[in-house]
Amino acid sequence: MAADAGAERAGRFGPARSLITAWALLGGLVLVGVVLVNAWSILAGAIVNRPFPGDFELTEMGAAVAAFCFLPYCQLVGANVSADIFTMRAGPRAIALMSVLASVIAVAFAAILLWRMSAGLLDYREYEQFTGILEIPIWWAFVPALVSLALMVLASVITLVEAFGELARTKPG
Amino acid sequence: MEPVAVGLLGLGALVALIAIRVPVAYAMIVVGGVGIAILNGPKIVLSQLKDLAYGQFSIYDLSVVPLFVLMGAVASRCGLSADLFRAANAWLGWLRGGVAMSAIAACAGFGAVCGSSLATASTMGRVALPELKRYRYSNTLGTGTIAAGGVLGILIPPSVILIIYSIIVEANVVTMFAAALIPGLIAVALFILTILIYVTIVPDAGPRGALPDRGELIAATLGIAPVALVFGVVIGGIYFGFFNPTPAAAVGAVMVALFGIVKGRLSRADGREALLETARTTGMIYLILLGAELLKIFMSRGGVPQAMAEWMAASGLTPMATLLILLAALIVLGCLMDSLSMILLTIPFFWPVLVELNGGDWATAAESPFGVNTEDLKIWFGVLALIVVELGLITPPVGMNVFIISAQAPDVPMRQTFLGVLPFFGAELVRVGVLVAFPVITLWLPGVLGG
Repeated sequence: MAADAGAERAGRFGPARSLITAWALLGGLVLVGVVLVNAWSILAGAIVNRPFPGDFELTEMGAAVAAFCFLPYCQLVGANVSADIFTMRAGPRAIALMSVLASVIAVAFAAILLWRMSAGLLDYREYEQFTGILEIPIWWAFVPALVSLALMVLASVITLVEAFGELARTKPG
Repeated sequence: MEPVAVGLLGLGALVALIAIRVPVAYAMIVVGGVGIAILNGPKIVLSQLKDLAYGQFSIYDLSVVPLFVLMGAVASRCGLSADLFRAANAWLGWLRGGVAMSAIAACAGFGAVCGSSLATASTMGRVALPELKRYRYSNTLGTGTIAAGGVLGILIPPSVILIIYSIIVEANVVTMFAAALIPGLIAVALFILTILIYVTIVPDAGPRGALPDRGELIAATLGIAPVALVFGVVIGGIYFGFFNPTPAAAVGAVMVALFGIVKGRLSRADGREALLETARTTGMIYLILLGAELLKIFMSRGGVPQAMAEWMAASGLTPMATLLILLAALIVLGCLMDSLSMILLTIPFFWPVLVELNGGDWATAAESPFGVNTEDLKIWFGVLALIVVELGLITPPVGMNVFIISAQAPDVPMRQTFLGVLPFFGAELVRVGVLVAFPVITLWLPGVLGG
């Protein structure tokens, strides 16, 4: 339902929507990569008794990066569950106001997390930490995460603008 | 102000935010973040946020969640549900009420490769609703059966909710998967029994279907080989310790995708849709997990779970009454919220209460008022909680399974579907009663597999 509503208004913010969806698909491909590494490791472990070295840490890193990539898309299509049971009888204007509030929170959260994780990236660059076996620097994973958070700010600004549009449409009188 | 009071105020604020449609994840994030800032100062929160999200998202045990979600998303697009239904129908369809029983059996089979109730209900609805109509099943029985059968998606392992529960209470996922199997099979048996009783009372509701010939019986049965193989490798492999849940889920996803591609059932568009569905579900779950972590830090700094546990223990209620109250609370909350948020919200409070009642972390079965040691209590309560939170999917006002089936059968009023679900709801209450009374049903298989 939410996805359809997104496609319907594709005219507005079209390029931004496509970018955010493409970024989520990219995250999906990272997840497929995690699948393949694990499947390969099991297969190689079973056949020639030589599992893929470092599959554990690649899984941790890959799943985390994929999850970050999914966040902007979730915000855009309204995949984050909310409980609408208490406000089923609320009027359209009240509902529009509540959507504004939810989007404001999303913008603020995405922006704060972007700011804090940028600091986190600098920390990891200063005191470099590596994964156990393949010795991948942890900060590498922070780069796609920060891009994701920037897109999440964008996605929540889009939902905020839309919520304001909805509010204007329901203006009393 | 006392930290406990701040914590309780925070809980109030959380409920208020959720009530005004703030997504559950954001409500937890706001309350958790602000709460820690009040108790420990904003500096602490800001420095924790530097790597809390990455730390949380990169927990190895969590990685199994997106992989099972992906496997289920691909499986729903490979026509596996049609194969399962055809086979079940060949065996059971000729009985009175048999087509409905077949739908239940097929839901259980699909639940063995998919960890989500909604996916199971919607994919089975597409396959079985037209058949139920063709054999002139009553709308009440037909739609009610599929809405209820969808619940089996999560009751039969793998199950996303069980994975999350295991992470919260630090239980072993493999043990939890083993524990859920027999209760899941009991659910299947009780659901089929429910249909049997139903058509005995109302014979017109479920006429006999066609009697298959020998060829159809064999062909249809062979059709479930792929599902049996995937379940055998993934869940069997996990049970017998051949591999961890994460690689198992990866192998399962590869097998399902290969099957779909070889059979020509999985197009590029399907693949893209499966990835986007995985993105929606995974992103939602991970954001809630981040919120739950912030909330957990806040609540434990405020000492709320401990205070609640002591208060419950001192309330003079018997342990069993307390357990039943907690389960009833989960059923009520389940009517208002989605099951995952609810597990993440409530278990951090409920679990310490039960540990306290059971006599601490190291209580043995002899000292325990429930007759089980605390490790077993964790397993037993997890399965009970899983069952009762899922009941919310089939009860008004927000029975998501019922909504999905109603959308697929627009000519059937939703009231009829809720009515049709009612007997199955009764069967579930019977099952919870049996499992509460006999913990051994849940604990036997993990005990055997664990040695």
